[in-house]
Amino acid sequence: MSSSTSLNLGSFCTSLVNFPTHCPHKSSSFLLHGAQFSPPSPNNNNNNSSTVFKHCSWKLTRPTKRAVAAVDSSDPAEKQETERKKYYFLVANAKFMLDEEEHFQEQMFERRRLYGERNKEPDFWLVIEPKFLDKFPNITKRLKRPAVALVSTNGPWITFMKLRLDRVLQESYEADSLEEALASTPVNLEFEKPETWTAPYPKYEYGWWESFLPPGSQTSKV
Amino acid sequence: MAAEMALVKPIAKFNTINTSISSRRLPFTVRMSATTSPPTSKPTKKAQKQGIKETLLTPRFYTTDFDEMETLFNTEINKNLNEAEFEALLQEFKTDYNQTHFVRNKEFKEAADKIQGPLRNIFVEFLERSCTAEFSGFLLYKELGRRLKKTNPVVAEIFSLMSRDEARHAGFLNKGLSDFNLALDLGFLTKARKYTFFKPKFIFYATYLSEKIGYWRYITIYRHLKSNPEFICYPIFKYFENWCQDENRHGDFFSALMKAQPQFLNDWKAKLWARFFCLSVYVTMYLNDCQRTDFYEGIGLNTKEFDMHVIIETNRTTARIFPAVLDVENPEFKRKLDRMVEINTKLIAVSESDDIPVVKNFKKIPLIGALASELLAAYLMEPIESGSVDFAEFEPQLTY
Repeated sequence: MSSSTSLNLGSFCTSLVNFPTHCPHKSSSFLLHGAQFSPPSPNNNNNNSSTVFKHCSWKLTRPTKRAVAAVDSSDPAEKQETERKKYYFLVANAKFMLDEEEHFQEQMFERRRLYGERNKEPDFWLVIEPKFLDKFPNITKRLKRPAVALVSTNGPWITFMKLRLDRVLQESYEADSLEEALASTPVNLEFEKPETWTAPYPKYEYGWWESFLPPGSQTSKV
Repeated sequence: MAAEMALVKPIAKFNTINTSISSRRLPFTVRMSATTSPPTSKPTKKAQKQGIKETLLTPRFYTTDFDEMETLFNTEINKNLNEAEFEALLQEFKTDYNQTHFVRNKEFKEAADKIQGPLRNIFVEFLERSCTAEFSGFLLYKELGRRLKKTNPVVAEIFSLMSRDEARHAGFLNKGLSDFNLALDLGFLTKARKYTFFKPKFIFYATYLSEKIGYWRYITIYRHLKSNPEFICYPIFKYFENWCQDENRHGDFFSALMKAQPQFLNDWKAKLWARFFCLSVYVTMYLNDCQRTDFYEGIGLNTKEFDMHVIIETNRTTARIFPAVLDVENPEFKRKLDRMVEINTKLIAVSESDDIPVVKNFKKIPLIGALASELLAAYLMEPIESGSVDFAEFEPQLTY
């Protein structure tokens, strides 16, 4: 019995020790990518796109034409590819996606690592409070807010992720451009510390998802 | 190739063997499992005691009814097969995230040379058991990949790709053994080991659980060592993060297989079996790890704390597919596990005593009785209803 008590104390301490690593981020829990990624001014140029890529730590250093077009909002008509693309997504409340479902983080970084190794352009993003949800009243009426969506142009991968995450809703939509597809509303995310933390390791740090948010999304439009 | 050739015979030979329940991946004793027959049906034969000690202690090799598997996944017979899900899984396995991950460096040998004394034996045992477990997965998946090729090429290919992963893992572990100047003769193992027969439905439950619990064990060790790097005494642990994603994906595949066979998930019998498999997997892990606290303490973990975390997380994951799971977060569950550890310790003491066999058996009877009653009590604890939201009747009311 005494051993089990000390165990619980042990894990309690772990979470206490861990707490400070969560906190500093919380205080700066930024108006998501609104502040970080897309300057309010319209001249969102290529410089920005490269900082975004650096910040995202994608190994891909030379954004190809499409990526530039997607990030650069200065002259959409000229640069954007006109074909409508299909986007697949899973959505659930932010707490589930970013806080509770810890192995989700591992999958995101694993996939990013793979894309880096194979020089593939990113085709998956996390979108916090996505605007496209307005098109899905059947989803929004069942969704706790704030919500987070995992969006990708790779449909089968989203199907796989639905199998993994299970407690999420799956749908798809079309959009003319990446920035239209991934537009979002800025929101403050705050997660309470878990009541019980049984793990012998600290929780993944608050904000791990930041580098998966869409580059230069147009929160400035709000 | 040699492994594949050797595979066919033993499997055919052992098709009728019917032994006790245990999980594939977990390198655990099945001593206790002779007493864990489920209340529902099918008495399990006593684990073959005459087997060498190594057989009881090392992970099992599994075989199944391949004809029934063929029927289950015949797309013409079974219309429930969610092709989109299997295609998605196939793409995910073809992606091959860990193609270039398992590359060794000279750190391995150097670290192994530094591990001396009792810890050295513990490490060797850990590598042997893990290697055998991965290899048993390789054999089973490889054969399933071969047998299902005609009736369901997609499912068959996934099995083959999973056997690729398992072979990679086993090979990596076997190379680890070479750092300790040892090697497992996998060809010999293939022929010499006993195969445990499970009906397909039980293969699904058991392998699902062992893949998922394998994931949680590896990732827990990895994350613990990441925050406590002074305990990394051998570089293999650094590979666990990517490695265990393979295990997690394998588990997802069994999840999809079960979804394709809703009869294994949706009735009262399925609930009883689900609870039974959860219990036997959790208990075997707990009892075995508690016999090997030196290993876990050697890498800076508290064995019981580690195990309970793994059990709780595995149970939460499993609740996304099994129709019922155990209430492992109820403190009473851990109390029961701890009592089982005490009884098991006494059982081992009797086995290792100098008494003649008759006396030993006589002394064991009350202990086995006590263990059985603890197991039954744990089994009968109020379960938690669970399952995939894809099946839930209450689904429209769920909030996400």
